[in-house]
Parts: sequence; C-alpha cells; structure tokens
Amino acid sequence: MIGAPLRRREDLRFLTGQARYVADLEVPRMLHAAFLRSPHAHARLVGIDAAPARSAPGVAACLTGEELHRHVRPLRAPSRMKDYRPTDFPALALGKVRHAGEAVAAVVAESRYAAEDALDLIEVEYAPLPAVAEAPAAMAEGSPLVHEDAGSNVLLSRAFAQGDVETAFRGAAAVVGDRFRFHRHAGVAIENRACLADFDAGRGALTLWTSTQIPGIVRDALAELLALPAQSVRVVAPDVGGGFGVKTVLYPEEIAVAVLARRLGQPVKWVGDRREDLLSSTQAWDEIIDAELALDAEGAIRGLRARVVADVGAYSIYPWTASIEVIQVVSFLPGPYRVPHYRAEAFGVATNKAPMGPYRGVGRPVAVFVMEALLDRAARRLGLDPLEVRRRNVIRSGELPYRSPSGIVWDSGSFAECLERAAEVAGYAGLRQEQERARAAGRRLGIGLGSYVELTGVGSAIPVSPGADIATGTEGATVRMEPGGGVTAIFGLACHGQGHETALAQVVAAELGVKVDDVRVLQGDTGLSPHGTGTYASRSAVLGGGAAILAARAVRDKALAIAAHQLEASAGDLEIAAGVIGVRGVPDRALTLAQVTAAAYAGTKRLPKGMEPGLEATRFYDPYLGTASNATHLAVVEVDPSTCAVRVLRYVVVEDCGRIINPLIVEGQAIGGVVQGIGAALLEELVYAADGQLLTATLMDYLVPTAGDVPAIEVHHVERPSPTTLGGFKGVGEGGTIGAPAAVANAVADALAPLGIEITELPVTGERLFRLLAARR
Amino acid sequence: MKPPRFDYHAPTSLDEALSLLGRYGGDAKLLAGGQSLMPLLNFRLSRPAALIDLNRIPALAYIKEADGQVRFGAMTRQRAVEFSPVVQARLPLLQEATRWVGHLPIRTRGTIGGSIAHADPSAEYPAVLAALEGQVVVRGPRGERTLRPEQLFRTYLTTSLEADEILTEVRLPGMPAGAGYAFEEFARRHGDFAIIGIAAMVIVEGRRCRTARLATAGAGPVPVRLRAAEEILEKDGLGDAAIDAAAQSAGELVGPDSDIHASADYRRHLTRVLTARALRRALARAGGR
Repeated sequence: MIGAPLRRREDLRFLTGQARYVADLEVPRMLHAAFLRSPHAHARLVGIDAAPARSAPGVAACLTGEELHRHVRPLRAPSRMKDYRPTDFPALALGKVRHAGEAVAAVVAESRYAAEDALDLIEVEYAPLPAVAEAPAAMAEGSPLVHEDAGSNVLLSRAFAQGDVETAFRGAAAVVGDRFRFHRHAGVAIENRACLADFDAGRGALTLWTSTQIPGIVRDALAELLALPAQSVRVVAPDVGGGFGVKTVLYPEEIAVAVLARRLGQPVKWVGDRREDLLSSTQAWDEIIDAELALDAEGAIRGLRARVVADVGAYSIYPWTASIEVIQVVSFLPGPYRVPHYRAEAFGVATNKAPMGPYRGVGRPVAVFVMEALLDRAARRLGLDPLEVRRRNVIRSGELPYRSPSGIVWDSGSFAECLERAAEVAGYAGLRQEQERARAAGRRLGIGLGSYVELTGVGSAIPVSPGADIATGTEGATVRMEPGGGVTAIFGLACHGQGHETALAQVVAAELGVKVDDVRVLQGDTGLSPHGTGTYASRSAVLGGGAAILAARAVRDKALAIAAHQLEASAGDLEIAAGVIGVRGVPDRALTLAQVTAAAYAGTKRLPKGMEPGLEATRFYDPYLGTASNATHLAVVEVDPSTCAVRVLRYVVVEDCGRIINPLIVEGQAIGGVVQGIGAALLEELVYAADGQLLTATLMDYLVPTAGDVPAIEVHHVERPSPTTLGGFKGVGEGGTIGAPAAVANAVADALAPLGIEITELPVTGERLFRLLAARR
Repeated sequence: MKPPRFDYHAPTSLDEALSLLGRYGGDAKLLAGGQSLMPLLNFRLSRPAALIDLNRIPALAYIKEADGQVRFGAMTRQRAVEFSPVVQARLPLLQEATRWVGHLPIRTRGTIGGSIAHADPSAEYPAVLAALEGQVVVRGPRGERTLRPEQLFRTYLTTSLEADEILTEVRLPGMPAGAGYAFEEFARRHGDFAIIGIAAMVIVEGRRCRTARLATAGAGPVPVRLRAAEEILEKDGLGDAAIDAAAQSAGELVGPDSDIHASADYRRHLTRVLTARALRRALARAGGR
C-alpha cells in the first residue's frame, strides 16, 4: 500500500465541482463583509466618516480600525531573534496606512453587492506620506519610517561566519560574484482567501471556517486575541483551493470577521477577490543578494560570502515574523556542496508594500538560484563543464551526516546520485552536442542545472521560521476503528491540494492491515482533531505520516490483543490482512476487524481482563531534527534573440523524498512546483511603482504560466528512506519550486553565454533580455 | 469585485436596442461578448446606468458574402469566425489572426463587433480591419453610416461612435486569390493581448509586389497602418533587402508606449522583427492558392 500509485480519492469531488470551499458555505442569517482598502501606500489617517455607509441600504455595520481595536489588540509576531524589532499589525489600519490595499474599514451587509456599494460611501481623509518603496533606500539614514515605534526600517538582521572566509578568498584561483535580484512574487492560489465566522452567544463559542493551511495556529491565536478559551474556538479549513504558503498566516480579515460576528450576533462571511488577493495576501522573495564564490584551480570551492537584503513589506506576519524568507536564503545558500568557509549577513527591511511571507520553497529558490549561478560562472571561468564543477563539489553519500556551514545537519540524502542520474536520464553529453549543432544553425539552446538540499519534516529542535516563538514540531493523529471494521483517521493537519486523504489513508491502511478504501481521513478541523498546527514547510508526510503510524500501530496492537483473547491464541501468532485477523498457518481460525471492533465496543465482558473498552488511539509525533530532502533539476531552453522569447523545451527532475507513499502524488507535487518555479524564472513579478502602487493587481498583468508555457516535466526518483523519521518519509511539497528558477536561469545564461550575457535578475522577462541583448548589439 | 447596481435590458431586435440606447442618453453600455466589459464593471471602472444585452438579437450574428466583401454581423462569435469556411476561403488572414484572440472559452463568447468597438489597440481584429481596409457599419437614430478604420479608431478604447449608435456589421473585402498573408504576434503568453502583432498581406505579380498591406496591434493608441513600409515593397519588391528595409521603416512608423510588459524600444524592435517575419511568411504563401 505504501508506494502504490493510487489515484487521489479526493479528486473526484474536485474535478466534478462537488468540493466545498468557504465560498460554498451558507449559514442561516449570514451577512457579507467587504473591506475598504487604502489607495495610498503610505498615509496618515486624518479622519474617517463612516456614517453615510452605515445608513446605506442593507448595511448592518461599518467598522473602522479605531472601533475594531477597542475589541481586539493589534497582532504582534514575537521572535527570539536577537536583532528583531517587533511591530504591530492592526487588523484594520490604525493611525496610518502602510501599504496600498491595506484594509482601512469593514462593511457588513446583507450581500456583497450592498457591502461594496457602501464602501463607496465611506469618506476617508488621508494625508499622504512619502512612500518607502525600495529596501536599500529604506535602510539609509533619514529614510521615512514604516513603523515609527521600531525606530528603524531594518526589522531584523543576522550575521554568521564559519571558518576563515578572508583567507579562503585571498588564496583563491578564481572568484566569481555578482549582485543578484529576485523580484517579488505572488502565490496565486486558485481559491482566494475567504473566511466565515459564526459566534454562538448561547455557548460562548466561535466557529471560523477559513481557507487556511494552519487551522491549529489560527485557533490558538484567535482564542488568545479574543480572550476566549481555546476549547471555545473551533477553526475549520474545509476544502482549500491551494495555499503555497500564502495561507500559513493569520490574516486581518480573519480577526475582523470574528470580531464582527461576535458583535453583531450574526455570521459574517468574507470571500476575497483576486484584486484583494494580489494586493493584500503575503508576497514572496524580493531580495537583493550580493554573493561571491572562491574556488581553487581545480574547481573546488574554498569559500562563499553573501549579503542579502530582503524587502519584507509593511508588516511582520504572524506567526512567522518578517525573518521567514531572508534568514533561510543565507541558511541554505551553500546547498548540497562542500563549502569550508562561509560568511553571510541578512537584513529584513520594511517598506510600503504588502507583507512578505512564506511561499513554496521559502528562501531556498533564491538561495539555489544564486549558488547555482555562481557555480556556472565558476565553470565558465575555469573552463570546466558545469556538470563537472558540481561533481567536484557535491557532498558524497559517504560524507553524511554532514553539518553545513550554516549549522544545518543533513542526515541523509543522495546529492551526487541525483546529479548523476539527472545527467544520465537527460542525456547530458548528447544535449551538449545538440547545443553545438543548434548553435551552428543559428539557434541558441541552453542547458541549466539546479541542485538543492532542504530540511523537511522539522521537529521541535528547530523553529521552522528562524526565531518564531511558536511550537511547530509535533502533530497528532487519532485512529479509530468504526463499527463494520472501517477506520477514521483524524489529523491536525490541513490540506490544500496535497492528497492527504489518499496518502495518509495509505499509511494507516498499511499499518492496520485494512484496505485503503476503508480508511477515511479527516483533517483541518480543530474541533475534531488532536492538537496540530497545519500543513506547511513540507511537513505533513513526515509529521502526519509518523503520527499516523504511531496511532495505527497502537490500534493494531489492541485489535490483536482482543483477537488473541477471542481466538485463544497468542498475539504474536496473529496477522492482519485485508481487514481479517488470522492465526498464522491456521486458515480457519480468523476474525474480521468488524468482529473485533464490535467486541471492543461491547465492553469488558468480551475483552481480555483489565482491558479498557474501545478501539482508538491518539498519538503525537515529533521528528525532532527533521530530515534532508534533495533533488537535481535540469532544464533545456531555447532563446530567440530576435523576440527575446524563452521556451522551455525539456525539463527533468530527479528527486529523493525518501520512502515514497504514493508516486503519483510525489510527481504531481514536483510538476506543480516546477511550473511555479518556471513562472518565477520567466513570467511572474509583482511590480510596484515608486509611489508604492501595485501595477500588477490583475491576472492580466501578473502572469502565471499556463499549460502552453511548460513542457512535459519528467520526474525520476532516487528513493533513499530517511534514517531519522518514522516510516522513512521526507518532505516533497516545495522541492519543485526550489530547483526550477535556478535550472531555467542557468539554461538561459548558458544559451547566451557566447554573447557574454549573465543572468542576475529574475524573472528574466522579454524586456530584461531585450535590454541585455541591446547592450551587446 | 461586484458591479454597482445597473438596469438590465435584453432586447430582441436592433430597433429595440437602439431605442433603449437613446432612452439612457449615453449612460448605457452594450453587452456583446462581455469579455472586456464584465471586468470593467466588476472593478467599478465603468458604472453605466444600464446594460443593453445584444445577445438575444439573432439578426446580428451572420457571415455572408456580398459585393466581393465578407460581411459579419457584429454579434458573430470569434469561434464562428475561426471555423467559417467562408472566412477560410476568402479571409485566411482573419482566420489566422483569430487563433491569437484569447483562449477558446474567450473566443466562444467574444464577438467580432465587440472586439472592434472596444478598440483595444492590442487586439487582433482592429489590426486586421486596418490591414484589409475594411469598414464597419454603424446604426443610430440618424440612420446608418459606414466608417473606415482610420475614421473609427480615435485612441485607446475610444472610437468615433456616438453614444446612441451601435456597430452592427463588419465588412472586409475578400482577399484576392493568391494573396500571401501572415499574422505574427508576440505576447508574453499565448492568449494574452499582443505586445506587438503584425497583420500582413501581399499580392505578387511576377517579381513585383502589386499590393502590400501591413498593420500593427500593440504599437500605439490605435492600429497603425504602415503605409511607408508598404510603399517600399510596392516599389522594390519582396527581396530580402526590401523586406529588411520595410521592417526598418515599420519600426520608425510606430509610436508605441511603454508599460510594465514592454518598453517602447522593445516594442519598436519587435515591430521590426515581426514585420520581417510576417512578410517572409506572406511571401512564401503568395500565389500558392
């Protein structure tokens, strides 16, 4: 069952329109919220006149920031990081607005139409302030401040060094380096954010249905903010149409609808539209990376140094803080390579843009882009093939476990094997010949490699976001036998497209000896599940899978004990398969799990002496350190230097996610991730004007790749079970996005290398290529 | 993203539609395929008092031949244009351009009249109308008039139609047998509005180019007919040097704007590249029918 390429059971409802998203939910007496959003990037709020909106037809309430925050304090993301300046994030703007699109007031009305009509009637007087539009300017002395209380726009910084970098560089045969720029990116889940709050005054209990990846975190934080006991707050993530990290944050709208529903005594629903999503959901990356790599004459890396400045936008998000992205860039920069000397510093700088948050890959896509670009430059400088320079530096399996210069321990992996296998399945030598032939015929083909190692399934030893003061190292699972012999498995995880209902059912079924179809997986409901936080950071296969194994194993042991009692056999002689417990070698002595379950619930009379009735178990799993997951990507592109169009001709992924639960799901994750990485490399960019206005607030201007923009993606596996996790699983949800920008960027640079063109800025759009080529004409 | 309140009318005849349009005195919008209008309404960028839905006027959807022209009822879907045997035989340039219009679901709703009346200069149909010297028929309370492209297109999203007039028909002269043609387009993704599009038609007589037609999409506030470039070809033929000279001239004739997708320089460059490509492809097809 583990390893079987089962089709995802949840897909039938997704593909036939039977899924239930927040927007599909209807609660009696439900009202609809709409948010007035700031047209200014930075302005003082002089006054708000909400009276005309309050008296508009169908309007139940109109709330400003000052009114809202009489009931709830602004959010504040704490951190244990030394150089971190905590800042407030009000649910509705207080005193001033800090980015265009920030929510300023909320209207609740009988329909979304009426609510939007009323928004038009709210009079806001703004006193515009100079916008802090770019991180470098924001760091400069005398820059206007996004948060006056913080005293600086630099909300966090960290520096670390391993070894003697200066000496390593002084003695180097070659030093390559540049200033790299990775622009801002949007997550663009198909389903926009949405939430629906219902306060049951009689019970003093709040239910929030929300399109989130983190129901557990939202529950705990909301309970605290609203001064309700945690057991009186239930957060449900129903079907969720994509998250990609963007939905791992507690959002202002979730707080606002909860407060409004409680105050009004009526359910309040908000369904974000695409414009709101692009303006106010968390965004990704936006970093300037100065990096240099020193090598000896044989191409072995001697040292690496980097300085990374991240534009973290207007607010430090809860719970991850503004450090989530930039610290991970420097943590993962050395990649799967031996880097004996490393020094890095990182800065997170506030600006008047939407807040930056985690997005599929978090820091690693940027780190891998930079490191892999440096390796290609080193290869060109030293006259080595790009594959060869990697061979000379990649950490070999015999060197594992390996402590990276940033302090992360790679417990296991197949870094060199994935590199070699990618070269082999892609036919690397043949591709180089094809490239030569194409060049002779006037065509520009390029081949790009990108390898990464990342830390997945992180347990309690390490925060998933540096410094974030929140526990994310455990997950719980409840496994319960139901009358009839079927199984309910309940998780604190949430799902937004990962196929948990299939994969986790495979894990439970394998452990229990039942059919996959007999296991029903429930998740994303804090009222139902053991404590958990949700799905993010490539953790669910490891943490959820581990908890599932422990809980299922406990149920299995108990079922065997009951069966042994009834069959008058020793539990050690029993086996479970396809829902039947039999005595090994005695085919006619058997009980179905249905019979065992009936006995378990019938009570003491039919159970072994002293055994508690019932047949369910809840177990928690903490993988403690987490486990390394790695891959090599290879892209082949053609650049048309006349139109500056880039076409991805071929794409190969060789990945190692440990023991594979379901290869179809792994491949789906890899393909989806690669498509987003191709988007990041070639198309997707949030463009802000100098005054802080977002110029790409529609999907006509923010361009995600379509099926026509990506080739068939070939995914191959190197399956090295993790030695440190239960089940041997490793995380795989983010990997596709981590390798792809590097592979595509390197392929474009490789195609244009004869013209002396290097790629330093992503996405490499037609316009950017045009300027690079024009400079060479 | 919900539109403000508006009245909705679904007339079944053109006269009824015209009378409704008159009643609102310029404060009504005509709903054709809705592919551009609905987003404008939902963003509240357009706040008309009424929508007059033309989708229930069957008499406005047709493709027919008359007087050497192909005539399209304004409500003819782009999908119908794409698969029309008449278009295939008489207007292969239009057929090729149609494949660049959005995506299949968009072409299923979008109409030829709506696309032209919306006057997005990046759209394909206005460029074809300009290249083929077509006309549109406009009806209003003062009767009917026909407009040539240079009379119709004023600037971005703006035509010379009066507020009480309806574009009812698009007329394109059938392409002569043997005419070479090509529609070249560069968009950041297939299906997006053009960064630059070039509609080209050439009629070759021996070594001469009797007629050359070139028009742009995306190269300025209205479709640009590249007459000076055409004249180079009509004078010097379709040799490599003449094509390159025409392409060079095309780049000089356009005055594109810069936006987040492409600078004016890049658009000018693409105008040259795509003009040359369109002409070479058109030449290869010329005389072959």
